[in-house]
Amino acid sequence: MKSARTLYIGVGLLGALVLAAIFAPLITAYDPNEQDLMNTLLGPTAQHWLGTDPLGRDVLTRLIFGARVDLAIGLLAVVLPYIIGVSLGLLTGWLGGRTDSIIMRIVDTVIAFPFYVLAIALVFIFGPGIKSIIVAITLVGWVAYCRIVRANVLVAKEQDYIHAARLTGLPASRILRRHMLPNVISQSIVFAMSDIVLSILAIVSLGYLGLGVPVPTAEWGSMIQEGQGYITQQWWLATVPGLMVVYVGFSLSLIGDGLVARLER
Amino acid sequence: MTTPLISVQDLSVEIKTDRGLLKAIRGVSFDINPGDSIGIVGESGSGKSITLKAILGLLPSNAEISAGKIFIEGVDVTTLSPKKRRALLSENTGMIFQDAIAALNPVIKIGEQIAEVPRYRLGKTKEEAKAIALSLMEKVGITDGESRYDLYPHQLSGGLRQRIAIAIALSGSPKILFCDEPTTALDVTIQAQVLRLLRELRLNSGLGIVFVTHDLAVVNELCDDIRVMYAGRFVESGTVQTTFKEPTHPYTFSLLKAAPDPDQSVHRLFTISGEAPNLTQPVVGCPFAPRCFSASAHCLVSEPELLPIANSKSACFNSADHTKWAAEDSRNGVAR
Repeated sequence: MKSARTLYIGVGLLGALVLAAIFAPLITAYDPNEQDLMNTLLGPTAQHWLGTDPLGRDVLTRLIFGARVDLAIGLLAVVLPYIIGVSLGLLTGWLGGRTDSIIMRIVDTVIAFPFYVLAIALVFIFGPGIKSIIVAITLVGWVAYCRIVRANVLVAKEQDYIHAARLTGLPASRILRRHMLPNVISQSIVFAMSDIVLSILAIVSLGYLGLGVPVPTAEWGSMIQEGQGYITQQWWLATVPGLMVVYVGFSLSLIGDGLVARLER
Repeated sequence: MTTPLISVQDLSVEIKTDRGLLKAIRGVSFDINPGDSIGIVGESGSGKSITLKAILGLLPSNAEISAGKIFIEGVDVTTLSPKKRRALLSENTGMIFQDAIAALNPVIKIGEQIAEVPRYRLGKTKEEAKAIALSLMEKVGITDGESRYDLYPHQLSGGLRQRIAIAIALSGSPKILFCDEPTTALDVTIQAQVLRLLRELRLNSGLGIVFVTHDLAVVNELCDDIRVMYAGRFVESGTVQTTFKEPTHPYTFSLLKAAPDPDQSVHRLFTISGEAPNLTQPVVGCPFAPRCFSASAHCLVSEPELLPIANSKSACFNSADHTKWAAEDSRNGVAR
């Protein structure tokens, strides 16, 4: 019961933000990129609930449109490594032997690099932009899923139900898909929830470092970067986008916790 | 002479352990033919389960076949690739495990699990596979299969689970069913039901059974032949009928005597003193000699082979000499 509540609260919080992002043009009357140089750095008013930035753009509007970019990239930057990592983990654990040694050595190599160093290097190679961020995070992120799933496969492989299925002569593809997969992915799903937070954090960090989504697209990381010069007067310019990251992280943690309790029941 | 369906020849299995190389099986030979029913009995660690696992290619990664051959339909499977080996095995054999809940996939409906082999190995349509699954459920004594088809394993009782496991094992129409203590985890009444089912399958469908257990009564009830295993070898081999009446090996004799008799009230049950030998050490002499009532000096230096005697085979130098057996029989003051 308690786990169900955490799950629902998390889904509710995140769902509200997702809806706001989807229906952003209906919620706000402003264009996120429209400059109004007569009204820069305004404080909260009835027209601009969170004021305006140094170029006179409505902060609330940019925040909501920023959710579109950050959530979409965050999700995509988890889905791709998830699919790659789970498939390779399944295969490497099942086949063992030389395939396993080769794939696991690659995994070790990727893990040995600090995440940001590798991601930043890759973004430099591919050039800034949404595509290269996703490619960079995917190339770095799949290893965790590969390891988790492989470990679960190694355990499941020695279970009697897998022995039984193999003894009945079912094709390996069927055993992997129907017998193995549903029994080995729950841990990786839970991990994916916290991984979305990490990947959003990575996108925001890359944006802050100027390696993310090119300006003027509204994005939380670049908003923090643009706002940091005004931290003593208009403190909310940098703080509110940061709080958005916290909000997303919090709701995803609730979902993750709820899923753990539900899947391990 | 025709080729036996499965022929195990001089099979030896070694397991790497922390305490050294354990010789779990030390030269086991036997044939299995369609319609056979063989009970392999022995105490824990005697190698009976490992024998099954070796035949079925289920040995754990730290164990390997160190000598011997296993022929299925005349083909030595120890030299085949795992894939070809499994194909040959799955056409001829089925297996049921001790713990049915572990042998069933927790996330797949039981009906689907039974229908899988017809659907994905035998290439039937979805409807045909379901019909086959339902008839198999009926065959293993599950009434109302249609309404139970969509249940998950955890929703069933222990006896029903083992019946489902049997139905799955039968779904590829095997000639031989390997059973690794399938009734040990069940309570006595359910145990009797499952044994009755296996006996019916044997008598009505001509299904061959290899049954591994430590329960002599089960072998007596289900099997025609018995192999008694001790320290990784067969020490006695014969028909259930003769062996239970006239055991030819002192170990079999003591085992039979150790089985509690519900008609006799005794203060203490008969036990075999001592313990099974440590198989990480080299075996010198007969491994049973230290515990044997009939052992002679010769038994301590040389290990006897499994040789024919009367209607059975026995691995004992003194199997013809029963002078000490009567004294052993009256030990503990219990008349047999």
